[in-house]
Formats: sequence, C-alpha cells, structure tokens
Amino acid sequence: MGRNKIHPDQKYIDGLAANDSVIIKSIYKKFVPKVVMFIMNNSGDKDHAQDVVQEILILLFNQAKEGSLQLTCPFDAYFFLLCKRKWLNELKKTSNKGVTILEDVLSINESAHELIGHTEEFDEKQQLFDAMFQKLGDKCKEVLKLSFEIKSMEEVAEKLNVTYGYVRKKKSLCIGQLTQWIQEAKNFNSLKNN
Amino acid sequence: MNEERYILFDEYLQDELTPGAKTDFENQLAQDPEFASQFETFKNVHTQLNTKFGIEQERQAFKENLTQISKQHFDKDTKVIGLKPWYLAVAASVAVLFGLFFFNYNQNPSFADYNNPEHASFTERSTADETLKQAETAYNKKRYNTAIPLFETILQKQKTAEIQFFYGVSLLEESHYKKAEDVFNALKNGTSVYKEKALWYLALSKLKQKDYEECKKILESISEDYEDYDQVEELLHQLD
Repeated sequence: MGRNKIHPDQKYIDGLAANDSVIIKSIYKKFVPKVVMFIMNNSGDKDHAQDVVQEILILLFNQAKEGSLQLTCPFDAYFFLLCKRKWLNELKKTSNKGVTILEDVLSINESAHELIGHTEEFDEKQQLFDAMFQKLGDKCKEVLKLSFEIKSMEEVAEKLNVTYGYVRKKKSLCIGQLTQWIQEAKNFNSLKNN
Repeated sequence: MNEERYILFDEYLQDELTPGAKTDFENQLAQDPEFASQFETFKNVHTQLNTKFGIEQERQAFKENLTQISKQHFDKDTKVIGLKPWYLAVAASVAVLFGLFFFNYNQNPSFADYNNPEHASFTERSTADETLKQAETAYNKKRYNTAIPLFETILQKQKTAEIQFFYGVSLLEESHYKKAEDVFNALKNGTSVYKEKALWYLALSKLKQKDYEECKKILESISEDYEDYDQVEELLHQLD
C-alpha cells in the first residue's frame, strides 16, 4: 500500500526549504497554536513554546535542505509530536524528577513514528557532529569552513596564502579527524546501549 | 590516524582516482567492512560540513525571517486576547462613524483614514549602529524627511527587507510615489515577511494619489492570510 507515498503536506517542508514566508506563516497559523496550548498545559509558558517551535523549524529546514525529508504522513501530527517530545525532553533535563514521555500510540500511524525517528536521529547526528567540530584546532576549522563555503580549493589556497597541495591534504586530514572521533563516539554508544 | 586512507577517501569523493585505482577502491569497499564503515562516516561528515557551511547564508536568511514571523505571531496573540472587548466596541463605533460619514457625504475614503505607520524598533536587536538609531528616532517622530537620507545610507551597507520597508513607508509619507512604489514592488516580489505588507502599502499609495481603480485591484490581490486582512476588507468595502 502507499506507505511510502509522499503526502500532499510535503508543501510545508518544501516551503521551509525555500524560505517561503506565506508557507511559514500558515504553519504558525494552523499548527503552532496546538503546540503552545500543550506546552502551557505542561509547566511551560509562551516563551518556551516560541523557542521550541523555532528550534524544530530550523531542524526541519536543515533536514529538508539535505534532501532527506519526505513527508509520508500529515504535517500536523508529525510537527506536533516533534515539538511535544522536544519539550518533554527539555523538562527532563531541567527538573530533577523524571518525566516519562507517554506516547499516544493509538493516535499516530506507523509512518509518522518512523519519520519522527529519522528526524530525531538527524538531530542527534548533527549535535554529535557540532560537538566534535568544536574540538578541532583553529587551523582545521578555518580550512574546513572555507573549503565548504568557497568550494574551489584553488581559491581557498590563495586566500590562506598556502599551496594547493597543502590545503587539499589539510582538508582530507581534518575530515579524517572528525571521522575518527565520530566513529569512536558511535562505538562507545553502541557498547553503552548493549 | 590513518592519513593515507583519508587522503584516498577525499580523492575518491572528488573523482580524481585513475580508473584502475577506482576499481581497487570499490573492491575494497565491497570486501572490507571496516574500510566501508569508515568511508561511510567520512562521506557523512562531508555532507554535514556541506550543510553547516555550504548553506550558511541561506540558513541565516531563514532564521531571520522565522524570527520575524514568530515575533509577529506571538505578539499578535497577546494583543488580541488583551484588547478584545474594547477593540470590538471601537470597531463598532468606527463602523457607525464611517457609515454616517459615507451616507451623508458619499465621499471616497482617504489616505489619512488608513495612515497609521507602524513603530520601528531596529536597535533593540542589533548592536547599536549610530545611523540606524538616528533613522529609527527620526522615523518614529514622523520626521520622514530626516529619516529618508539616513535609510539610504544604511541600505548601501545592509539591504535588509526590514530597512527597505520602513524606507518605503517614509517615502510614501512624503509623497515620493514613484520611489516608494519601486521599493514596495521589490519587496512584493521577494520572500520576506514584508511581502504582503508591501502590497497593502502599494494600495495605500494609490489611495493617496486618489487612483481608486488601481487601489482596488491591488487590494484584491492581497492574500486572506495577511495579518491585517480586516483592514483590507474594510477599505475594499469603502471603495465599492
């Protein structure tokens, strides 16, 4: 059955990727009030709601830009649950007493679950990546930043006043360093979870 | 760290290997799971770097736009809840006044009726730029002739939709129609939050020039999602 069929609500995802104000406004109008209501009923206020919504929309923008976000369920359920889970995780972090995330399993379908899983995984990967990137030395950060902004390695070399061979090698090794750290973190996590 | 390996990975991704070396590489990928898993991570890091830096400008533009829309959304929420009872009363009396006014004199609506330029507040967010501050003060005190050249200076450095919008409003207030309409037309064709607002001000510009036909046409092109659509409807009604 059409489990992998793209839902018409994909227009919201495409609109976010295109920075389309009309679409973004309609997301606020149609879907955000429900999130605000939920957060205000669960020990939060309007400012919390505003932050959570913004963080989730930026996450969706990033995922959409990478081309890996294809909506197979209504946007409503997907967006609401992402916000809800994000907020409950926030609460968990700040309060000492544990908060259990009660899933309303009945109200959402399987493909929504799967999609939310993907998005949260994307988020975790991005956070791990950012943390590792911060660990790099300044030279590595600079070379990588320029390499991916400018794209032409000849220009990068010129800008840094070094040879082409040097930046190429440096770039490979800096990505290599990140690769190594991220793999170590992954191995550590899988040991922890087993 | 296995330096040779990472250099090889990069060469493969840039498609710089000779056909022979490429085949060797792909054979190793198929046979050596550890090699393959390392390459997979390397490729992912590559994509993530691209997401982080390759689209940094787009992401900044998106975040700015999002912050604006979010602010508008949440501010409006409080306003509507807080003011509702007397807001209705005012709306009703305004309607009555308008009713009387038009019944008796059958006059066309005027620019002055709809002219309530919004308050500008740039400096609370940005690090205080002197020119920006002066422009904001002049604008808010309705000294548009002072504000216009200041906005022009700022626009040469940073051409944001927000500054363009307030520049356009100032021009309109001083009846520089051609220039104002150019600014609003540019905004209308962009993707900023000022897209719909620019249409509304284009309509007001036509109203100020008493070009009622054109004014009506523009009003009709404004989306119902526009935050102040009630004003649009009201003016449309007056024009009929």
